[in-house]
Amino acid sequence: MHHSLKRMWALIGVIAAIAAVAASSAGASHKAGPTIVIWTDTDRAAAVTKVANDWAASNGATIQVVTKNFGDIRDNLGTVSAADAPDVITAAHDWTGQLAANGLVEPIFLSSATKASFPSYTLNAFSYGTAVKKLYGVPVAVENIGLVVNTKLAKVPTTFSQLETEALQVKKAKHQTFGIAVQQGSGGDAYHMYPFFSGLGGYVFGTNKAGNLDPSDIGVANPTLLKNAHLIDKWNKEGLISSKVDSSAAQNAFLKGQAAFWITGPWNADTLKKSGLTFKVIQMPAIAKPSVPFLGVQGFMVTKYATVHGVDSAAKDLVTSFMATPAAQTQLAAANGRPPANVKAKSSDPVLQQFSAASKGGVPMPNIPQMSSVWSDLGQAWVRSTKGSGAMAASKSFKAAARSIAAKIG
Amino acid sequence: MSEIAAPTPRAPFKPGLIARAIALFSGLPGMIIKFVLLAILNALAVWAAYVLIDRGKWISLAILVAATLLIDYIYLAPRSWTLPAKFIVPGTVFLLAFQIVPIIYTIEIAFTNYSTGHIISRADAIQAIKVNSLQPPANGRQFEMAPARDADGKLVLILHDDSSGAVYAGTKKGLQPLAKPTVTISPDTGQPTAAKGYTLIKGAELFSLDAQLRALEIPTKGDSAIQAQGVSQAVELQPTLRYDSAKNAFVRISDGTVFRDNGRGSFVSVNGKEELEPGWKTYIGFHNFGKLANDPLYRSPFVKVFVWTFVFAGLVVGLSFAVGLFLAITLDKKGLRFQSFYRSVLVIPWAMPAFLALLIWAGLLNDDFGVVNKILHLHIPWLFDANWARVSVVLVSVWLGVPYFFLVSLGALQSIPAELTEAARVDGGAGWAIFRRVTLPLVLVAVGPLLVASFAFNFNNFNNIYFLTQGGPYTGTSSIAGSTDILISYTYKLAIATGKGQDYALASAVSIVIFFIVATISGAMFYRTKAIRSVQ
Repeated sequence: MHHSLKRMWALIGVIAAIAAVAASSAGASHKAGPTIVIWTDTDRAAAVTKVANDWAASNGATIQVVTKNFGDIRDNLGTVSAADAPDVITAAHDWTGQLAANGLVEPIFLSSATKASFPSYTLNAFSYGTAVKKLYGVPVAVENIGLVVNTKLAKVPTTFSQLETEALQVKKAKHQTFGIAVQQGSGGDAYHMYPFFSGLGGYVFGTNKAGNLDPSDIGVANPTLLKNAHLIDKWNKEGLISSKVDSSAAQNAFLKGQAAFWITGPWNADTLKKSGLTFKVIQMPAIAKPSVPFLGVQGFMVTKYATVHGVDSAAKDLVTSFMATPAAQTQLAAANGRPPANVKAKSSDPVLQQFSAASKGGVPMPNIPQMSSVWSDLGQAWVRSTKGSGAMAASKSFKAAARSIAAKIG
Repeated sequence: MSEIAAPTPRAPFKPGLIARAIALFSGLPGMIIKFVLLAILNALAVWAAYVLIDRGKWISLAILVAATLLIDYIYLAPRSWTLPAKFIVPGTVFLLAFQIVPIIYTIEIAFTNYSTGHIISRADAIQAIKVNSLQPPANGRQFEMAPARDADGKLVLILHDDSSGAVYAGTKKGLQPLAKPTVTISPDTGQPTAAKGYTLIKGAELFSLDAQLRALEIPTKGDSAIQAQGVSQAVELQPTLRYDSAKNAFVRISDGTVFRDNGRGSFVSVNGKEELEPGWKTYIGFHNFGKLANDPLYRSPFVKVFVWTFVFAGLVVGLSFAVGLFLAITLDKKGLRFQSFYRSVLVIPWAMPAFLALLIWAGLLNDDFGVVNKILHLHIPWLFDANWARVSVVLVSVWLGVPYFFLVSLGALQSIPAELTEAARVDGGAGWAIFRRVTLPLVLVAVGPLLVASFAFNFNNFNNIYFLTQGGPYTGTSSIAGSTDILISYTYKLAIATGKGQDYALASAVSIVIFFIVATISGAMFYRTKAIRSVQ
């Protein structure tokens, strides 16, 4: 017994020694110069790696790109341990409020020359603060939805009533249940319905005196919208739009020539080009007010971990000086088929240019964290009021949504 | 034990395939496999130890070392008590890692304020509030910057004012104007590229100065100071808040408003109207449970959702079992043709990934474009009407659940001795009576515990609800919960779609409540099935 116990400890010693050698040789390669860890999504990983390494090569830095699902970048940043945390992240502008309120991202400053090369809304989109408004991200790409018109089936409308007439004519001719293919489904889709919402005078959050979004000023059932809400009931009755249409139904109807109008974004640019249809993308004509879309801006942020890792100034240099340049912007934006944010880096793609033009006057999706209380209720307001027979009167439906949102925000 | 039974002659031992496979590993090969596996485990443990030492996680390190040594001891020491441990330890390790630890975390989080705005530590939050409070003063200047060293090797910032074009050397003593001709400015970027009497710092050395650059504040007027932002920009900034560490409060410099620690992870103004962001994570006792019980926003849907969760889980289990048993009885008939074909077809819903099936069903049930309404020539609002949506989620869940109960019922039926039903028939029992008095009770003995487990599963069947209806439709009266939301999907919505977005702490509190509900029900039902079995 005694003998075998000795043997056992000897064995454990050998095993541990082998393991220690293996582990130490794995962890031994430390490099001089800062290492910047960037979290990005699959689409952009290659472009980000290339652009960041261009910067790193001239600065003696090392880049480590970690690929994540886009939405996970936001969620994991709150739970990651400091040792594994990124210094720079690819981000959507509407995360700004949440990440800043969590204290996870650092304010950044752009030179006036750099600022001048971005449309002011893109910088606004990345700015947040309840008292002092700060910029938290450098915009890279912009996206917004537009009205895609099948020019074989219908004329490009210049007024909303023209759009309505044309859409209903095609609906009748093709025996369809709806005129404009805009996706909702039972879950609702406040994003794709926003041009209708803004055209009727709706807004999500007002702004306070300091120019910040005010979560207590909810415009989901504001007087202008309620005054125009009877139009929603009319559209529902004549079948111009229907909440039964989900994303695949909308896409199928347009691609098969069953609907002449489709509301979608640049993520479908390739689908459109391959479809063989002749089409044009415009901003939806104004209803009572301009029918502007929600704007989405994507870009890069510097996290609070950059300071912890001692690479804060390097990370800020990469993001504010290098990624903002037209050359970097063109590559980064092209990586997932969006027009670049820098005005000096125009996209050469005609379809993307048309989508860009459709963004005129658009509203960046509110970037305050309270927006997460809005999406489902605003979507459901449309679902209830445009579900065909048995639909709720729009004014009642939007009032209910506004009440519910206010209760949730508290 | 007065009577000693005569030893019955044993049948010659014929090891089965699995036994023979195990035997294969008992000699030298087994020893080698054991050592290889243990070596890998130890290697991983040593690697993990390096990581933990690196991060200063000493408690985790102690647990890791103790656990590794224990496992080594159990598998290497030839003691009699280690034999059962060899079999129990791997399962226990996984139980601890994947069940117990998450439960402990959930309980811990339920008593915190972990949510949007309350993620980081208090010290980090105070630091972030200070940084966020910096604001360019009126007519604040912005500079193109180049860090440099003076003749003594001290860090100096060469600054080029964007708007006036003036150039300065900045140190912690203040700004010192430089003669314009002594500094070369890049015409493209406005960046200083050379300065007489100074050596510009470039490349890797520049980035190694990170902490010094951030610490360097060049005082200007009042409490304003110029600070480096990155390595090529500097901005004149002024704090708008002052931290009073003695009073543990922030004071707004402009109007003297005091922001006090409210004990729940935030600095809040004295009038309670303003809150500084970010807050921090802290323990808040039973606050979340209190909110659930007292806040009408959460309480009123909770009761409604609670009732529907019972109805949903009960209906799904009951109907799945009834249909599954019916099909099993039908297909158990001897001499039925294509029996195996029918059985295979019935198992298809089970073989398919459930979430895929659910997404397909969501499409099939669309009332304008869905196949279901087209085939039936009906116009039922499957997903758009509250009651029809409830019917839909139950039907689809039953569709997904039937194969399971079909299989277990079939097994249970085949284990019922034919003599029993024959005897009942001889005694003059009719088909229905035999089923009710003989078959069903015997099937229930076998399937009973599975019914309880299935109830617990459906009670928390998040996928079925979320992929089919997302909890909707919303009737317009309830703000958080839709008509098909069950407790777990409602919890998910609490966690991601109320207030400022993510309220993990409140969601954890609901999870704990759900756990107690399910545990109570399951416990009671298991007790009952045990009672039935012991009676028989």
